[in-house]
Amino acid sequence: MSSLFGTMSVALQSLLTQQGALEVTANNIANANTPGYSREVPILEESPPILSGNTMVGTGVTLKSVQSVRDNILDLRIDQETSQQSSLNSYVDSMNQVQALFNETQGSGLQTDLSSFFNSFQSLATDPTSSSLRQSVIIAGQNLANAFSQTSSNLATIQQGLDQSVVQNVQQVNQLTTQVANLNQQIQTVSNSGDNPGSLEDQRDEDLTNLANLIDTAVIYSNNGTVTVTTTNGALLVSGNQSDALTTQINSATGMNDVYAQGTDITTTIAGGQLHGIISARDGSIPSSQSSLDNLAASLISAVNKQQNDGYDLNGGPGTDFFTAFTPTTTGSNAGAAATMTVALTNPDEVAASSDGTQGDNSNATALANLQNGLIASGQTAGDYYSNLIDQVGNDVSNPTSEQEAVGLVLQQLTNQQQSISGVSLDEEATNLITYQQAYEAAARVISTVDELNEATLDMFTPS
Amino acid sequence: MGMRVNPDMYSFILSGLQTNGKQEEQALQQVASGQKLNSLSDDPAAAASLVTLRMQSSSDTQYLQNISSLTGSLNVADSALSSVVEALTSAQSVGVEGANSALNTSNQQALAQQIQGIQQEILGLANTSYNGEYLFSGTATTTQPYAADPSSTSGVTYSGDDSTNSVEISAGQAMPTSLPGSQLFSNATTNVFKSLQDLYNALNTNTNIPAAVTEVQNALTYVSTQQTFYGNSVDRLNSTQTFLTQEQTQLTETEGTTLDVDMAKAVTDLTQTETTQQALVQAGAQISQLNLFNYLPAP
Repeated sequence: MSSLFGTMSVALQSLLTQQGALEVTANNIANANTPGYSREVPILEESPPILSGNTMVGTGVTLKSVQSVRDNILDLRIDQETSQQSSLNSYVDSMNQVQALFNETQGSGLQTDLSSFFNSFQSLATDPTSSSLRQSVIIAGQNLANAFSQTSSNLATIQQGLDQSVVQNVQQVNQLTTQVANLNQQIQTVSNSGDNPGSLEDQRDEDLTNLANLIDTAVIYSNNGTVTVTTTNGALLVSGNQSDALTTQINSATGMNDVYAQGTDITTTIAGGQLHGIISARDGSIPSSQSSLDNLAASLISAVNKQQNDGYDLNGGPGTDFFTAFTPTTTGSNAGAAATMTVALTNPDEVAASSDGTQGDNSNATALANLQNGLIASGQTAGDYYSNLIDQVGNDVSNPTSEQEAVGLVLQQLTNQQQSISGVSLDEEATNLITYQQAYEAAARVISTVDELNEATLDMFTPS
Repeated sequence: MGMRVNPDMYSFILSGLQTNGKQEEQALQQVASGQKLNSLSDDPAAAASLVTLRMQSSSDTQYLQNISSLTGSLNVADSALSSVVEALTSAQSVGVEGANSALNTSNQQALAQQIQGIQQEILGLANTSYNGEYLFSGTATTTQPYAADPSSTSGVTYSGDDSTNSVEISAGQAMPTSLPGSQLFSNATTNVFKSLQDLYNALNTNTNIPAAVTEVQNALTYVSTQQTFYGNSVDRLNSTQTFLTQEQTQLTETEGTTLDVDMAKAVTDLTQTETTQQALVQAGAQISQLNLFNYLPAP
């Protein structure tokens, strides 16, 4: 047989449990708008029954634990997509800067200078001895050379800026991996003591998402509550309470910072996050545009110089180089041709308009003008080669922009799914509040009932 | 228990507003600039073709400039040659008059003086220049082509060359800017200056005047034939100019189609994004009112 005092103790236990559940609800409501917060649920458990005589009697309820509701697999998927999105974002941002340099849609790109340069020779052909037309040729040449070197140096500046970002991003990665390692340690300690590490896990999730923003990560959850973090290509970032810092080191060949993990160069194997986007722009697309620009400059320099040397200047002397001749620093590479492009001629008389030394002859001026239609740049005309470069630069932005939208949609779906699992619903919490409140009130009623019963029992012995 | 939904309805509104904002920005930029192509990435292929179009258009402008400066010099040369033909025609009349046996020596010498005048006139015309360049000295445009030279049988010396300058008037089409004096005024059998010198000598000495007149007549025919080059050239320039102007109009039109925005569509797009924005904001306002706590009795 059970006792009234036993019932009292069951009711008290119930009061405490419902109070605990209310606390969880209150905490959920408080964190309804906290980024990265996963809602918590109180896990209520029946207390072990006791044998009372021949009957098993329940002993009430206990608050077994408080659990955060999260789907680790979903969190990982979100981090992967986040990685992908950040990579695209930072790449598009970088290449947007690049496409602004080739401002052909506003008619202020290289094309104008290219056209003016060839046209100046056409004009000169109509009056080959005119000193003003000769001057115009030199000026058009200088404008063209300036446009090339300016564009080239602007490209280099953007590239330098991205290199700085690589270094900064690596520092941020290291800060985050240190934090994750610390949290691993704390979570393990809290778990071992049997408490809910929910808020620490939330913090760690937030850090992991931020990390995924910077670099592609693979996260493995261990039974002890810690996570092991590597890049998707296996470079170790965090293991237990240890983090391995990434380092940067200037590559003497490119002058750019390479990223190292435990002594191994991982620059080219980074597959996601801002670092990937920045490195793709810094080491891929920008050098490719730069090299096209260099090739075009080198082709123009050599074709114009060759034609100049075939002709004669106003004084009947043999023509000399129009542009300062480009000497490659590495055989077979035109690197630096655009950056260093300058006009070598200083005197308008030196423009070699004549092909036979006769002052009034214009054949070489016409030949120089016709270089516009010559297949001088990798089997293409200068205009077509440049037009292809424009197409390339435009695609460098437009292709990842469409991808960006697709990834954004996926991410939105996943986040929605995650929120439907982990997000705090105020409706739900309001319901919980009522439920726990009523349970609390009921338990209190039990106590007062037992109290009355006790009183009644005691009254039996009170002399009236 | 039913499926749990994302309690943060605002996230949908927010992403909707962001997407819509992007579209609004694009539409607004198009309306403001009047261009549908505002950066290369809007349409890389179109931007690339824009470069080629503008290269071609710019070349055409240059060809048109070449044509206009060429037309000037060709017209000047043509009118100089017309004067040469006129002068030769009068020389011919003077010669015919001199062949009349009724004339006495002094009359004939007076006629010879007239021929000398015509010789000087034609010498001047043969040295015609345009923009400081001699028109009939071949490519040696800075050298005066003809100078009087009593020691020469033609009475003049030619210092120009036998070459011709050509100027591009459209892609791949070059046109000679002029003909050298050595070709315009003489060939293997005929020579304008020698025919006049011969007529002058014939009149002075009253010998072989009819033969000298025939010589002048042949020279006249020859120069007239050569002159057709200029007339034909001007015709060709005119037709090329028409062609280039049409091509430019075409290019400008294509450039417009590539670059310019369809204003009606852009404005509609803009209005649509504004409507969408209003709808989203209203939906957002609705959400805030739906919360169970509002229905709980105050304690």
